[in-house]
Amino acid sequence: MILSSEAREVVETSMKINKVSESEREEIEKVIAAMPNDRVLLYKNVVSNPIGDLPRYSVHIRIQHMLTFVTFLTLAFTGLPIAFFDHFWAEPINSLIGGVDVSRVVHRTLASVMIFSMIYHIFTITAGTIVKIMQGRFEIRRSIIPLFKDLRDFKQDLEYFAGIRTERPEMDKFMYKQKVHYFAAAFGNFVMIISGSSFLFPEFWAAVLPVEIAAHFQEMMRLSHPHEALLALLVVAFWHWYNVHLAPGRFPMQWTFLTGKITREHQMEEHFLEYLRNLVELPEERDYLIDLLTARELEATGVDVVDAEASPEGATP
Amino acid sequence: MLYQKIKICIVLLFLLGAGYSDITLAFEDDEACLLCHKYPKMGRVTEEGVQRSYYVMPHVFGKTVHRNVPCTDCHSYIKQLPHKPVKVGVQCDSECHAIKNPATGKNFSHKPIYDKYIKSTHGRKKVTKGHDRDKPYCVTCHTNPIYNPNEDEPPKRIVDRCVVCHEDNKFVINWYKHTSRRIREVKRSSEEIVALCSNCHGDRRLVERHMKAAKLEGRELGRKYPYAVESYNESFHGKVTRYGFKKAANCLDCHADYDNYYLSVHYIRPSRDPESPVSAERKLKTCQRCHVYADKNYAAIDPHPTSNPEDNPFRHYAELIYGWVGDIVLAIFVGLAIFETIGRRRDGVVWKLRKGSSWWRKSKRNRDRVV
Repeated sequence: MILSSEAREVVETSMKINKVSESEREEIEKVIAAMPNDRVLLYKNVVSNPIGDLPRYSVHIRIQHMLTFVTFLTLAFTGLPIAFFDHFWAEPINSLIGGVDVSRVVHRTLASVMIFSMIYHIFTITAGTIVKIMQGRFEIRRSIIPLFKDLRDFKQDLEYFAGIRTERPEMDKFMYKQKVHYFAAAFGNFVMIISGSSFLFPEFWAAVLPVEIAAHFQEMMRLSHPHEALLALLVVAFWHWYNVHLAPGRFPMQWTFLTGKITREHQMEEHFLEYLRNLVELPEERDYLIDLLTARELEATGVDVVDAEASPEGATP
Repeated sequence: MLYQKIKICIVLLFLLGAGYSDITLAFEDDEACLLCHKYPKMGRVTEEGVQRSYYVMPHVFGKTVHRNVPCTDCHSYIKQLPHKPVKVGVQCDSECHAIKNPATGKNFSHKPIYDKYIKSTHGRKKVTKGHDRDKPYCVTCHTNPIYNPNEDEPPKRIVDRCVVCHEDNKFVINWYKHTSRRIREVKRSSEEIVALCSNCHGDRRLVERHMKAAKLEGRELGRKYPYAVESYNESFHGKVTRYGFKKAANCLDCHADYDNYYLSVHYIRPSRDPESPVSAERKLKTCQRCHVYADKNYAAIDPHPTSNPEDNPFRHYAELIYGWVGDIVLAIFVGLAIFETIGRRRDGVVWKLRKGSSWWRKSKRNRDRVV
């Protein structure tokens, strides 16, 4: 496979960061050259372990995800019956929890856990980033920070879904959907904490804000808390659960949130640039890929190389 | 014929028996009112076509707070038996002749509270005309409460102790019931208070009737008058009160004075009156009853806002935008999920990863998994 300039840059940076030896560099180049030019053939032919093959999330991220999703669902379960009191399901759910005397205590306790989870997350990623910067290992494109590339990826992905392109864009460790989701969750978390605190400490917010906006702020927060909760729940229910549970190839669930590992085919399909880094960082992955390509007679041929030069972005000729 | 007569007799006996069986008087009926009023069928249909019952249940009335008051103390217009049709009925500011106020020695009366009530925004005469008829009279809120309904008689060990000095068993039982009821918290629960106020303020037709009348007469009504109940129900106080939470404010917690609560609930004034606890002048102090750190900024917060554009345009548009954003986001995400599924299925993905791959289907592009 002849890498696109972007992928080539990722591989070069990764080799530089990992200080690979000359012999390793040769080995990596050999694997890359042997990869079929059509990436689709690559991820269609690998063998994946459902519980994951390649490292993706640290144990901290997994703990944070667990804390956030357990608290989020329970907070929604205890809060929504109060906010949407006039719906038929509100009264039975509230009674099931043990009434408002119980649910308010549960809600506030879990809110504290959710805030803890947020602080824990901010601390972990900040400290992790600082360490990476100091070690010279930080790569912005490998982080969750949105880049213009994500817009391009989104456009190209839509083209692939529509059948215009033959393959998906070369996406990084965090693809556009994950970035949108992450910042939506972060924003939602922030709104829920601020608005929740305005329910719990209305006097504080009235005292610190100027009189012209104190009342509007309180009203806005009273609206925001249930609306943001509902929006978050719907996004989680309809989109996140689709992506990790219901999407083809992911059903009935991805194990990444428990094992921290991603399946090989998924990494190749949606995070190809990260897979290239895996090839640099994991010698056993290189061995696996060479064995597979040889066994399945998928190694790149001269014809492939010519084709690749004609359409390096994978666009339909 | 004889058969017909027997049948009528049986029916009459049955009707009499239904109401008359086993009546034991729990109170003195010196005036013999029960002679007629003990019959369950006692009543009439008024000229307006309303069915009225005049039945007095002796076994229930005998346990009420008024059981020691002779009927004619309140029904003072009755001078002879059988009496003439009643036109006005009982007025609650009348004086009792049989009961003395032990503190003052004067005849007992509800007049002090009535005088306060008549000056309140709810004040009305018993017989009145026009829209005042929608206002609550004493009996709208106060039925004749029953003494400790779950406790027929005081515990024997208490009665036995008291009669040692007070000698009279009946006196002891009466005193016990009187004091134990008053020692208990006799205030309505928050939910009951909200339900009581909502009875009229939540009646859309009544509210509209009054809005119309006020407009015609050029009278001012409270800004929140049209949506008092719905906005309270949607407020945080309303939502948790609805679920039986006791510490959140109900209607009277803010609209009545905290000091001398039982008198002040009868003297509710509109918020534009400086005497009202929710007037601009007194609002902050009212908030501070619960929200001790409240300041003037806090008092500016609307405790039960609505999303009505006339009442609160800010909230109206904020809610509208929130609704739209929610719908759009949902539509985009659901649409994207469907689009993505179709796109990837076309390329041969199956739902479940099995035997190491999710790409077992035949693709439309002729580049399938090597099997």
